Amino acid sequence: MNKNEIIDKLKEKNIRAVARLLTLIENEEKEAENILKEIWNFTGKSYIIGITGPPGAGKSTIVDLLSKMAIEKGHKVGVLAVDPTSPFSGGAVLGDRLRMTSSQETGIFIRSVASRGHLGGLAATTRFMINAIEMLDNDLTIVETVGAGQGDVEIVQIADTTIVVEVPGLGDEVQAQKAGILEIGDILVVNKCDRPGSDRLARELKMMLSLGEKKDWMPPIVGTTATNGDGFDFLWKEIKNHKKYLGTDRKAEMRLKRINYELENQVSQKLFTKKMVQIGTNEISKMSKKILERKIDPLTAVEEIIRE
Amino acid sequence: MSKKGKIRVLIAKPGLDGHDRGAKVIARALRDSGMEVIYTGLRQSPEDIVEAAIQEDVHFIGLSILSGAHTHIFPRVVELLNEREASDIKIIAGGIIPDEEIPKWNEIGIEAIFGPGSSTNDIIDYIKGSAN
Repeated sequence: MNKNEIIDKLKEKNIRAVARLLTLIENEEKEAENILKEIWNFTGKSYIIGITGPPGAGKSTIVDLLSKMAIEKGHKVGVLAVDPTSPFSGGAVLGDRLRMTSSQETGIFIRSVASRGHLGGLAATTRFMINAIEMLDNDLTIVETVGAGQGDVEIVQIADTTIVVEVPGLGDEVQAQKAGILEIGDILVVNKCDRPGSDRLARELKMMLSLGEKKDWMPPIVGTTATNGDGFDFLWKEIKNHKKYLGTDRKAEMRLKRINYELENQVSQKLFTKKMVQIGTNEISKMSKKILERKIDPLTAVEEIIRE
Repeated sequence: MSKKGKIRVLIAKPGLDGHDRGAKVIARALRDSGMEVIYTGLRQSPEDIVEAAIQEDVHFIGLSILSGAHTHIFPRVVELLNEREASDIKIIAGGIIPDEEIPKWNEIGIEAIFGPGSSTNDIIDYIKGSAN
């Protein structure tokens, strides 16, 4: 499919065209940029829910249940599920789909995404991939991050409602006091509530929140058991509450901040790539050798390379 | 494929047999060779497999079948890919497929079949060669 074919088929909501555009975006092809420019006015219409939390917390299962609930309530759903790329081989096993059943029956569009070396819990191109999926006219997009560490907080720059999933048994209450992932949740979910320790975890999270500053929106704590659906009605209600809280004004304000952040990112990325091409890898490996032989210190080396 | 492009492969286990060790070994080997592998898990219908392959925009579908159900599943997957105008997605297979049937399956569009004892390196080489 060439550019014009893809654009025509995108307007017909053709799944293959969307899937192909996602590939072009992932591969950072120039063609993807050209297409995105032309479809820009059709995008940006979906409400974005972000799901993050440690590996094995049940994120994919929660996404599966939430998207099915959404379908039942008459929404159209797109899912982006990010998994890590191996830093050694560059390959990835993308297993989120395993938990998500039968997309054929429900019409849910699911795309597995490899992080391809990007840090922060998402892939570098996730923002644009959401726009591509929006060509299917979905009013809800769910983005699942990689099994996140404490610092993987990039989802907050993308999602309208960020859900942080925690499970019992991962640490003591000091973990809950640390900065990072727990701070970004608009809703905190304690999943695997059928396991011992979940009540305690919920109490600790509540205490963590109560020690912080009072905010207009205090994140609710929702207990769920994703394997049997317990707690999901409550979770859905809280998502709706948060959406209502955001309203149009707060949402506009939030989106402006994000566009700002995103633009800054894109510009610096472009500048970075341009400069790196200028410098070339040769210069870097020459300098590395000098550092190894202790002929130059690494700080001066950086300065010299950039000056050139 | 561009410099940044990766070979994407959907590994699927259609039918009712639950022996997925082979599928998992292959998924891991392909990952270690730098490919992106989407693993769909057990008991997938041909419809689900084709839908997933299209959404994921994969180059290859790898079907692992040990139950004998391939006689039904192979033609069905080929047919569905044609219906969806996605016959550029190539199909390879593994598991228990009688040797004498292989030419027949090759003919309907199962590009390559790797039976028990196949080396993962051969599979990787095949995929890399066929993708280009």
